[in-house]
Amino acid sequence: MSTSTNIPAMTPTARRVRAYFAPVNRTLGQPAVFDPSLSANFSLDAPPSPWMDLGWVEAFSRRSASKYGLLAAGSPANTQYQVRESLDATVSLRFSSWSKLTMALAAGSQHMNVITAATPAPGSGNGSGSKGVAAVSLAASGSTVTFLAMASTDAAKFAAGSLVAVDVDYTAQTGYVGSGVSAAYVASAAAVNSDPDYIRRVTFNVARVQSVSTTGVTLAQPLVAGVPTAVMKVQPILGFVDREGGSFFQEWSALFVIAGDQGERIFYYYPRLQAMGGAEEAATPLTAATVHVASSKSFTASSASANVANLKNAAATHTTQGASLPSSSSAQVLTPMHINQSERISLAANFRALPVTDANDGERAVCFRTFVPPAFALI
Amino acid sequence: MQNAKDTFYITLRNRLTQVNPERTMLLRSVTRPGILVEEAESPMALPVLDAFTLRWTNLTMLPQLPLPLAQMSCEIYYSTAGTQLNSGLDRGRLLEAMDAELQQMLSPQSAPKMNYTTTPATGMLTSIFWSEPEFQPAVSVRDQISRVALLTVWNWQEAGER
Repeated sequence: MSTSTNIPAMTPTARRVRAYFAPVNRTLGQPAVFDPSLSANFSLDAPPSPWMDLGWVEAFSRRSASKYGLLAAGSPANTQYQVRESLDATVSLRFSSWSKLTMALAAGSQHMNVITAATPAPGSGNGSGSKGVAAVSLAASGSTVTFLAMASTDAAKFAAGSLVAVDVDYTAQTGYVGSGVSAAYVASAAAVNSDPDYIRRVTFNVARVQSVSTTGVTLAQPLVAGVPTAVMKVQPILGFVDREGGSFFQEWSALFVIAGDQGERIFYYYPRLQAMGGAEEAATPLTAATVHVASSKSFTASSASANVANLKNAAATHTTQGASLPSSSSAQVLTPMHINQSERISLAANFRALPVTDANDGERAVCFRTFVPPAFALI
Repeated sequence: MQNAKDTFYITLRNRLTQVNPERTMLLRSVTRPGILVEEAESPMALPVLDAFTLRWTNLTMLPQLPLPLAQMSCEIYYSTAGTQLNSGLDRGRLLEAMDAELQQMLSPQSAPKMNYTTTPATGMLTSIFWSEPEFQPAVSVRDQISRVALLTVWNWQEAGER
């Protein structure tokens, strides 16, 4: 039996990567901070603020693209020094869930909300949505992160289960817009037709309506921008739209966590990730061919279940003689099954990491990798 | 490997008492949670109905790692004939219930390894962990319906461990 009090440094084993994203303050150029000395043991289901849990991701891949040069001297020349010529890294992954945030991250550019169109619809239509129905004002007080206080006549315009966008009117602001998250960059009012709905068209401050009362609308999920201000307005939305094109780059802080089977944790903290690709998806068949794990002694072949096997044979005979009931007596035969065309669609996302300065030594870095070893492992 | 096998069984047994405390069986005159290890019981003519039976089959060693890693195959067999009250017509529902219970018992997919040969049991330095279950097709035999779930259990062989 084991008498040691420690184990050697181990090979991490894990099966999944979990992703957390947090908005970068684009105006001030401030990324969200993940400090492993403060938060390395956080519950994966309850990340510290402002990190948002985007769940398990697939095909996570990170790559260093930094370039190195050398200084050679002598004859024949031999390397005397190395220099770091450039600092670069990329990350790619697939989101299995489709949401406002995952779509925006995967789309790369502005990600828009499809505001319910005004009736009759003005103009002849537009790829990212037409002029929306009039926005509804919030009450001066009473709103919370999950409740929108408004007049009863306004609340009646929303239905349980519908989607809403909550943000301020566009009033000729320029620069980054969007409450809570920098959702787009407006170069000029003319560029967005001075549309008062423009910020609500791009905002991340969206939610599903859980219920409606005479005092307002209760949301099924909290708003990312926190408690809405009284100057914000509410518009119903149908869904989301993004484009192949656009001049805006999504930029987010990202944290990827690998939770090892022995309790170890590996963190990849990217303070600034900018999208570097357009909208793409990956399709995976839902019903891949079944792979049977062959066993030297399966239950149906064992002595302990021999009688069951005999019963099975008898039943097969019986059903054959009966009325050809679809027997499942071939259940453990190695056959592919359920081949059809159903596929699950994942969002493919690609990012380039941008640098920050490490306050500890002033060095520039694009990613921080943290390893917390398992208990009892020597280091 | 015995510590790993014991830990896996005890973990599933304890989780079963949380998932469905009503699932019990009478075995060797003792009422206990409805899960057993085949190799640790007397030979049976028929599997116990409405209970989970664990069978250890294949074993592979991966020696080139910091500690030897044992990769063990486990088959979990379960069957039901439904209830007398419903003349067995609910056997499909009961099998589905056992499917769901097993999924819950297997999550999370790791557990700290224990040495149950000591009293009280002592914790070891590593954890065992296992794969997602591969549910095999249901098999109907007369009044019974059964299923086998296949999974792999991994175990770091600690120093001095047999």
